[in-house]
This record gives sequence, C-alpha cells and structure tokens, in this order.
Amino acid sequence: MRRYISAYFENEENLLRAAKDLKEKQVSIQDVLTPFPIHGLDSILGFKRSNIPTVGFISGAIGCILAFGFQAWAFIVDYPLFIGGKPHFAIPSFIPITFELTVLFASFGMVFAFLIRSKLGPGANNPIHDERITDDRFMIIIDLDEGGNQDEMVKEILAKEEAQEIKVKEIEK
Amino acid sequence: MYVSPIREPLVTGNKTYKKITDEISAPIEGKPGKAWYAGITLTVSALLFGLAMMGYTIWNGIGTWGLNKTIGWGWGITNFVWWVGIGHAGTFISAILLLFRQKWRTSINRSAEAMTLFAVMCAGLFPLIHMGRPLLGFFVFPYPNTRGLWVNFNSPLLWDVFAISTYFTVSLLFWYVGLIPDIGTIRDRIKSKFKKWIYGLLSFGWTGSAKHWQRHESISLILAGLAAPLVLSVHSIVSTDFATSVIPGWHTTIFPPYFVAGAIFSGFAMVLTLLIITRKVLNLENYITVGHIESMNKIIIATGSIVGIAYITELFIAWYSGVEYEQYAFLNRATGPYWWAYWIMMTCNVISPQLLWIKKLRRNLVFTFILSIFINIGMWFERFVIIVTSLHRDYLPSSWSMYEPTIVEVGIFIGTLGLFFTCFLLFIRVFPVIAIAEVKSVLKSSGDKKDKSEKH
Amino acid sequence: MEDKYTLKRKTQYGILSIAGVGILLLILGYFIESPNRQELWANVLINNLYFLFIALFGGVFLALHKIAYAGWYTALKRIPEALTKFLPISAVLMFLIYFGMHDLYHWSHEGLHDPILEGKAAYLNVPFFFARMAFYFLGWIGLTYLLRKNTLDQDLNPDLKYHKRGKILAALFMVFFAITSSTMSWDWIMSIDAHWFSTLFGWFIFIGMFVCGIATIILLIAFLKAQGYLEYINKEHIHDMGKYLFAFSIFWMYLWFSQYLLIWYSHIPEETAYFAPRLKDHTVLFFTVLIINFLFPFLALMTRDSKRNLKWLSFVAIIVLIGHWLNIYMLVIPGTIGNEAQIGLVEIGFAALYLGGFLYVVLASLTKTPLLVKNDPLLKESFHYET
Repeated sequence: MRRYISAYFENEENLLRAAKDLKEKQVSIQDVLTPFPIHGLDSILGFKRSNIPTVGFISGAIGCILAFGFQAWAFIVDYPLFIGGKPHFAIPSFIPITFELTVLFASFGMVFAFLIRSKLGPGANNPIHDERITDDRFMIIIDLDEGGNQDEMVKEILAKEEAQEIKVKEIEK
Repeated sequence: MYVSPIREPLVTGNKTYKKITDEISAPIEGKPGKAWYAGITLTVSALLFGLAMMGYTIWNGIGTWGLNKTIGWGWGITNFVWWVGIGHAGTFISAILLLFRQKWRTSINRSAEAMTLFAVMCAGLFPLIHMGRPLLGFFVFPYPNTRGLWVNFNSPLLWDVFAISTYFTVSLLFWYVGLIPDIGTIRDRIKSKFKKWIYGLLSFGWTGSAKHWQRHESISLILAGLAAPLVLSVHSIVSTDFATSVIPGWHTTIFPPYFVAGAIFSGFAMVLTLLIITRKVLNLENYITVGHIESMNKIIIATGSIVGIAYITELFIAWYSGVEYEQYAFLNRATGPYWWAYWIMMTCNVISPQLLWIKKLRRNLVFTFILSIFINIGMWFERFVIIVTSLHRDYLPSSWSMYEPTIVEVGIFIGTLGLFFTCFLLFIRVFPVIAIAEVKSVLKSSGDKKDKSEKH
Repeated sequence: MEDKYTLKRKTQYGILSIAGVGILLLILGYFIESPNRQELWANVLINNLYFLFIALFGGVFLALHKIAYAGWYTALKRIPEALTKFLPISAVLMFLIYFGMHDLYHWSHEGLHDPILEGKAAYLNVPFFFARMAFYFLGWIGLTYLLRKNTLDQDLNPDLKYHKRGKILAALFMVFFAITSSTMSWDWIMSIDAHWFSTLFGWFIFIGMFVCGIATIILLIAFLKAQGYLEYINKEHIHDMGKYLFAFSIFWMYLWFSQYLLIWYSHIPEETAYFAPRLKDHTVLFFTVLIINFLFPFLALMTRDSKRNLKWLSFVAIIVLIGHWLNIYMLVIPGTIGNEAQIGLVEIGFAALYLGGFLYVVLASLTKTPLLVKNDPLLKESFHYET
C-alpha cells in the first residue's frame, strides 16, 4: 500500500516555504505541480541539473559531421564535378549547410530527449490531480510512510502555510 | 528577483494568476465577433484569388509573369525575401530577447513566433512556384536518384533550401515546446468533450510537474541559444543568393548582416501592425501595454538606423571602390527609371523611423501603426530595388530593359497576404495569443505595484 | 568596505616592469633586427589601434547598456569608465601617425598617377584624413567625458534627472559611434590596402573591438577581485561577461566568414587581391587568428560552468586578447611591410610598452573615484542579481 498526501497553495511563496520545511524534516516530496516554473524550487527539491544541453551538443555534433562529410563525399568521391571554378573540396561552400544541419539535429535531439525523459507526447495519459494546476493552484504531493507516523507533522507544516484541501490518499499496490 | 521601481510595469491592472488565465483564454472559449468573420472573409477571398493565380501560373508557365531575359527575378523573389524577413522578428523576440533577459518579450513572443511560421510558409511558396513545376520541387533535396547526381552544394540557392526548411522546423519546435503548458491550461478549462480530447492530445499530457518545468526551462534556453545564430544565418544565406554573384549592386560584403538587420526591422513592423490591432480587439491592453509598443519602437529605430547606415555605406563604398559599374548601379538606383522605388525605400525605412526619437511618438499607437505600415512597404521596396534595379541595366546596354508585374504576380502576392492573415486569424481562435505561463512568471516582479500591497 | 581602489606599490612595479621590458626589448630589437621605418610605424599603428579600440569600447559598453535599460551592469560601471580615460592619450598617439604617413599609407604619396587612387582623392587626402581624425576624437572624448561626469554628478545627487540625461548622452554616443566606427576603420585600416574595398569592413572591426573590450573588462574584474575589491560582483555578473565573450567571438567569426565567403565565391581579382597575400605569405598566422579568436573561445566557453569560473574565463580572455592583437597585425602588416614581416623583439617590445602605459592610465584613473556608483536607480538590481 502506498500512501500520500496532497494539498494545494494559492501562492508560490507558501509553496516554497512549505517545501523547504518538509525537505528539512526529511519528508519525501513526490511531485510539485505548478502553473509556471517556480524560481528556486529546483534547488529545494534537490534536482540535478538537466542533461538536455549535453544531448543537444552530441546530436548537434552528429549533424555537423554528417552534413559536412556527406557534402564532401558527394563532391569529391561520388560525383566530382567542376562547378563555377570552385575546387571539389570547397570548404566555404559547405559551411552554410553544415551549420543548418547542426542546428536542426541539435534541436530535434533536445526536443525528443525532453519529451521522452518527461514521458510527454501525443496521447500521453498522465493523471490530472486538479484542473486548476494549470491555472492558479500550486499543488504538492508528499509520500507518506505506511505507518502514518509522519502524517501529523506534514499536515501541520502544510496548514501553517495555508494549504487547502489537505487530503490523504491510499493506493493498493 | 528585485526589479527597480522606475521600470514600467509589464502587466497592468490588478491581475491575479486566475485573471490572467481567464483573460488570455477568453478568445478561444468565446464565440468570434463580427469583426473576426468580416476579417476572415476578406483574407480567405484574397487567398482564393492568389490560389487561382498560382494555378494559372502552374498551368500556363512562368511566361504569365512580367519577367524577361534581363530581369529573371521580379516580384516572386522580392516577395520571398520580404516574407522571410518578416519572419525574423518572431525568432528575434523569442530567442535573442530571451538570452538578453528582456522580460517584456513574454507578452509578445507567442504571436510573433506564430507570425514567423506563417511568414516562412508564405515565403516558401514563391521559390516553389518559381520552379514552374512545383510537383518536382523535391528535386532540391539530395536523395539518391537514377541520374546518379547530387544537388549542387556550391549553390546559394541550395543553401536557401536548407536554411529555410531548418528555420521553419526549428521555429516550429521552439514555438510548440513553449505552447505545451498553455495547451494544458486550455485543456483543463474547456467544456466541450471533443475539444478537451483534442487539446489533451496536443498538450502531450502536460501536468506541470516541477521536473518537467526544469527541463522545459533548460530546453527553452538552449533552443534560444541555437535559434539566435540560426536567425542570423537564415537571412545571411538569403543575402548570399545575391551577394555571391558578380552583379553590381548585388555583390557587396555587407549584405549578410545588413539583410539580418533589415529583416528584424521589417519583422518588428509587422509585429506592431498585428499586435496593435490584436490587443485592442481581444482586450489584451493590460498585457501588451504602451510600454511594450515603446520597446518595440526602440528596436525599430535601432535596426532602422543600422539599415540606414548600411545604405549609406553601400553608396559610399560604391563611389570609393572606383569600379564604374558599381558606381553606375547606385546612381541608377537613385536617379534611373526606378528612382521612385529607391526614394520610397529611403523615405519609409530611413527617414520616417527617425521620428521615433521623440518619446511622445513612440508611445502613440496611431502613429506607430501608420509607421509600421510605412516600414512594411519600405522594406518591400528595398528588396524590389535590390533585385529589379540591379538587374534591369547590366553590363550590356543592348539588353537593358524594364520590368512590370502582371496581374498574375500581383495576385499571388495578394494571395500570400491572404494566407498569412487567415492563418493568424485562425491562430488567435485556437491557441492563446500570449504565453500564459510566461506572463504569470513575471507577474510578481513586473506586475503593477499596486496589487502587491493588497495581497499581504 | 573599501570603496576606493588604491594603486599598490607592487602593482606599480609590475606595470613599470612590463613597460621596462618593452623598452629593453625595443632597444635590443633595434640593434638585432634593425627594423626599417616602415616596420616601426606599422607597430605604432597596430598598438595605437588596439588600445584605442579597448578604450573606446569602454564608452560603447556604458552607452549600450544605458540605452538598453540594463540594470545588472551598474555595479561595474567604473571599469569601462576608467577605460575611456585612455582616449586622450590614444588621440595624441594617433596624431603621431602624421610623421609616418608615407610609410603606412601608400595613397598619401604625391604624383602616383594611379587612376583608381585619383578617383578616391576626394576622400583619401592627408588634410581631410587628419580633419576626420580630429572630429572622431573630439566626439569620442567629449561624449565619454560627459557620460562619466554624469555618473559622478549622480554620485552626489540622487535626482533622477541624471539618469535621464545619461540616456540621452548614451544615445548620442551610440549614434556618433555607429557612424565613426565604420569611417575610422576605412580611414585607418582599410585604406592601407588602398585599392581594396569591402562594405562589411567597419562592422567587422567593430565586433573585434567588442570582443577585446569585454575580455579586458573581465581581466580587470578578476584583477580587482583578487585585490579584494568588488565583492558585490557575483557569479551571475561573471557568467554574463562570459556569455558576451562567447557570443561575440562567434559573431566575429560570422562577420569574418561573411566577408571571406563572398569574396572567395565571386572571385573578382580586385577583391581577392586582399586575401591572396594573407593566405600565401602568412598562412600560419591567417589560420591561427581564426583558431584563437573563434574555435578556442567557442569550445572553451561552451559549458555553463566554464563561463562562471573567473579563473578560467580570465585565461580565455588573455588568449582572445592575444588573438585580436594578431588580427589587427594581420590587417595592417601585409599592406605595409609585406611578406617579410615577422613577429620579433620589436613587435613584442612595442606591445609591452603600450600595455604598460595603458594599464597605468586605467588603474590610476580607477583610484580617482569610488569603485561603486551611487544613486543609480537601477543599482539595486545589480546587487540582487540572480537568474
């Protein structure tokens, strides 16, 4: 059996304070759902920095090498032609397309990484806890231990920060 | 984050998060008014006229245009460059202003990016039609074919193919990633079951989880970092269509950055044209404030002046170069048979924006609107001047000639205007015109100071 | 909190020894390498331009941020202000060129019977050349003086009118600079290769100046922080300076490439004549400049952490500063000395001597005023700076 508690705040400052208190008390926060990105929440929840930039670099590098390599191969090896008095290996001519494909690959790489890692995509069926999360409610979902020893302490912290609809839920597993 | 009190608020009127959501999603939930129907009737008729003219061109061939042996590029390419340029403001606003942390971009980036996409669509049509046989348009991509040939990677026209298609794709990705949270908002509000399903599908299952937001912010920033050089590259590559040649008036090294400045200049003019009306019709005056208009006007004057300096640099260097063809090309622009086009360009692009040095005029909506139309016209003529007047009198006086568009070319241009505005009118009914989540995130720091004191 | 910078004995000795080494190398070089007049004047011009650009960028930095309504930079405003104090000395040094005109500028000779140069004579003639020079310096020195005076006045008086006046002055400076930065690069650099022309040239020079200036400001921040000043400059400020260095190095490359690509592609002899000797006679240097000024900062500053690490950033800044000195060297040398040119004792000596003088002027002017401005309405934003 998994037990958790959910509540929402009307103000991001209350949310930040509550999250900080809970973290200090070693309570595990399952998720925080907000209508917009909250500055400073990442560090309170102890998130690591996202690896998306690395994905972007790698996919960009692949695009860069592929584009330059392909142009060079097509014009030097596969079908060398004299065009406008340019050498076969006309580096300056290859740069624009190389650049464009670098950007294209990097962008696609990052967007796919973002969607896959976040399990988002057309048809993704994530539970919606409250329809006003995307409007003006800042929801927090906290894991509770099975024994219920933390319940009171968590509720107290939430109540202190004016949390609304504090609900304990249980799921059989 | 601390914001100095001398800064103008970016969101006026006592807004709460709820109010922001309600007001920005209102156009999607309500029924369109009479003005909208009147508008879309007009734009769709323009589009249909354009489609008919495109069909006529494809059926009968490019001979239906006013082009001749001397002037092979006329309205078609002028329109292409004009439309691509207009697209640039959207990326500039969402990418470069994001990198420079200009918070005022949050109210205008969504619609400006949408405008980018529509403008690039319009632009892309012209080379396609210009090919004469658009069904064989895929020939421009390097694919293994029975002829064993590859496309010409040395050709700036091919660079264009890659630049424009990459630009469209990356702009679409950037725009859509930014839209996901807002589509989530609409999904959670909309009443109709069917629409809820559609928006649910489009929202990619967005929940607003903190981890998702963290990744979302990270990807937005890096995509902006990529889109910023991309936007520079696109119009630079477009400019190489001209500048790699040996045509006097075309071959000049300043073209790449000067085209980019001109593109941003014309794009901002189009953003102003659209948003001054949109904010009024959709009651968004509290989000797109006069302060926003003023900021955009400042960018107009900066880029307009850069363009002006580039014109003068070209003129001066043409004289300084001592190349008689170069000198003649510029003399012919200003005093030749197309002198009027040159002076329309100069008046609209360089002289009239200088009025914006006056603060009163920068904050005057009517003036700004009229000026933005002027700039749209001026920037169209800039491309016309570059293309037609440089071509019509080249090295061989016996082949000097004049160019006049036919109704077919004009019709296609009107058709793309119709396409652009139709897309925009549909967009404002389907997606939030302002990035809801982004505006919420600047409300506390840059909202009206009054409502802060009320809250606590 | 110490609000004024004091020039320590140790620093003074350091600067003196840089200049001293410069003089020593110059004397040694004079006897060993026996440079001709042309080489000496070319060196004067290179260093004149290099340090003028950095000093002038101080004004650009202030004016750009002022008209862009930026808040974050206010706490480090005094550094670019100090840079502009070198401008009057630059002016004097530039006017010295009068005595070396014939060694540097081919067009200044009389009776050349060159129809192309005769066509340009209305612009390229000695009196007009120096009239323009006087005009540029008058504008630059005057406007940067007023910009600086305005913030000094603001220190004493919290009235908002100084803020507004600052914006007007900044706009004036930018307009003046936008025009003169192009014309000065045509006058002083492009006209060395008097037949050649490129419309992009002025903007290319401007972005090079931008990179040099940012690198210098980064180094001055690092220096002052190491001395225990500027404790309010945090990682975010450093990060932003790093981003500038990164982005404008890329932008520099973009302009370089735009110019090269178009000339390479069109293959018109009048234009390729510029790149041909640079590629043929100075091949190594030609590519070194590109690697140091683009590839190196691009790779070295790609990650977030590298831009936030002041030590690493300073290292990159030093390399980039060397790279841009070489860039100006490459702009000046092929048209003046030609293919025999080599970087030797004379070149290093001149650069060191100029560097010593430049550092002394800038650091001495930093001691004159408190390191932190007061009463700027956007100053608090600079303190609470986080992203």
